[in-house]
Amino acid sequence: MIPLLLIHLIKIACVIGVMLGIVAYTVLAERKICAWMQDRIGPNRVGPFGLLQPVADGLKFIFKEDVLPHHVNKVYFTLAPMIAMIPALITIAVVPWGSQLVIPSVSHDPIPGVIANLNVGILFVFAISSLGVYGIVLAGWSSNSKYPFLGGIRSSAQMISYEVCLGLSVVPVFMQVGSLNLMKVVEYQAQHTWLGFTQPLSCFIFLVSAFAETNRLPFDLPEAEQELVGGYHTEYSSMKFAMFFLGEYAAMFMASALMATLFFGGWSLPFAPFNAPAQTLTVGLIHIGIFLAKVCGFLFFFIWVRWTIPRFRYDQLMTLGWKIFIPLTLLNILISGVVLAVITK
Amino acid sequence: METIFWILSAITVLGALFAIMLRNLVHCVLSLILFFLGIAGHYFLLRADFLGAVQILIYVGAVAVLMLFAIMLTRHVTGDEGPREVLGGKWWAGMGTAIIIAGLLWAIIRKDQLAQILPAGGAQTSMVEIGKAMVTDWVVPFEAMAVLLTAALIGAVVIALEEVIRRR
Repeated sequence: MIPLLLIHLIKIACVIGVMLGIVAYTVLAERKICAWMQDRIGPNRVGPFGLLQPVADGLKFIFKEDVLPHHVNKVYFTLAPMIAMIPALITIAVVPWGSQLVIPSVSHDPIPGVIANLNVGILFVFAISSLGVYGIVLAGWSSNSKYPFLGGIRSSAQMISYEVCLGLSVVPVFMQVGSLNLMKVVEYQAQHTWLGFTQPLSCFIFLVSAFAETNRLPFDLPEAEQELVGGYHTEYSSMKFAMFFLGEYAAMFMASALMATLFFGGWSLPFAPFNAPAQTLTVGLIHIGIFLAKVCGFLFFFIWVRWTIPRFRYDQLMTLGWKIFIPLTLLNILISGVVLAVITK
Repeated sequence: METIFWILSAITVLGALFAIMLRNLVHCVLSLILFFLGIAGHYFLLRADFLGAVQILIYVGAVAVLMLFAIMLTRHVTGDEGPREVLGGKWWAGMGTAIIIAGLLWAIIRKDQLAQILPAGGAQTSMVEIGKAMVTDWVVPFEAMAVLLTAALIGAVVIALEEVIRRR
């Protein structure tokens, strides 16, 4: 028997390890896929097929000189990349990776496939991920120069706007499920149908807003190389820059995990034995595999879109968020409410 | 639990003090954020998960970002220039506030009402209960709040429109 605390620590270590591993390889995947899409080969020098490229990149970042420009506010300048990185690592705690793991030699009760089974799950995710904007705003402000500042201002306006869309777009999902607990959301989908099919509008708006929240193309206005010279991280170098980079990809991972969990069944597949909590260890591990496969699918989608669609103009971004998505989400909530009232009657 | 309570209280009080005492406005807002987070921590400690999450989402995630946003667009955020004056001679305003707050606290503590409202194990309320309470017992205050917020929203639009018209 292993004490419960140790089980929790092992789970946290596994989740963070796997997540950061996937994040590192997403960077490689991004470079490879963009190369293929542009009819190039991509990184292929380090290791077989360039598979050791992330290791080389990491070492390079660590050994590079850490430039601290004299005009920056040193405390916030150092703090900002940390803040940018942390929210994605915290919020992954409430996302169920699998149903449960039954290991009798380790614990009597099945081990749940989620670190923290919070009742306010999704609200917690939104609350913590809304802190991510501070990393970018502080980076822009503390850099104390024009372009990072403009990038920071743009970013905070963009992220606040799309947070509203993101929050409102998932309301119909929870009206249908009747709980904010992500574990329950997945179990509902395992028993009934994937919410992506019953709430297509929610799903679409959530997906687009997630692109905006993670600052990915076509919403990468905070960076906008051509106008802002890289935006908020212009002044950053070495590992501090790498942390912004990792933060962006970790946020992408988190957004993909939420897409999979909320709209595409999380760890479940719509047939036995994958549509019910696992009774054996093998099925439990396969559930985790299914979840990770779905997440990787969405990560691929993120990369695919980035190298396909050009950037929005700033006014288009704001029009889309405030004049199109917010009315649509409100309408969606109204329609879902009426339909649910009629059905349950 | 008690240790966590004291740590959180220290963070909250220090955050509140720094928010009014520091000179650089950006530092002030960041201290205010610390204060908001401390309050959210207290909510979590009381098992009011929903309230805690909403506190972070609304105050830290939106209100404080807007404050920071507005302050960064202004000049002279460092507060280095000019003499430093506390209350600016309006000591009676400070005294009045202190008396009102002391009176409220005294009334609350004396009547021990919080202990009656909250069950012993903390307020483990589900969202379903909160939702039901909002549209049954508390529907009038709820609607009044909605009207107030709508009025504020329309007011903001009117002010912004005046600006646009004046520019033309």
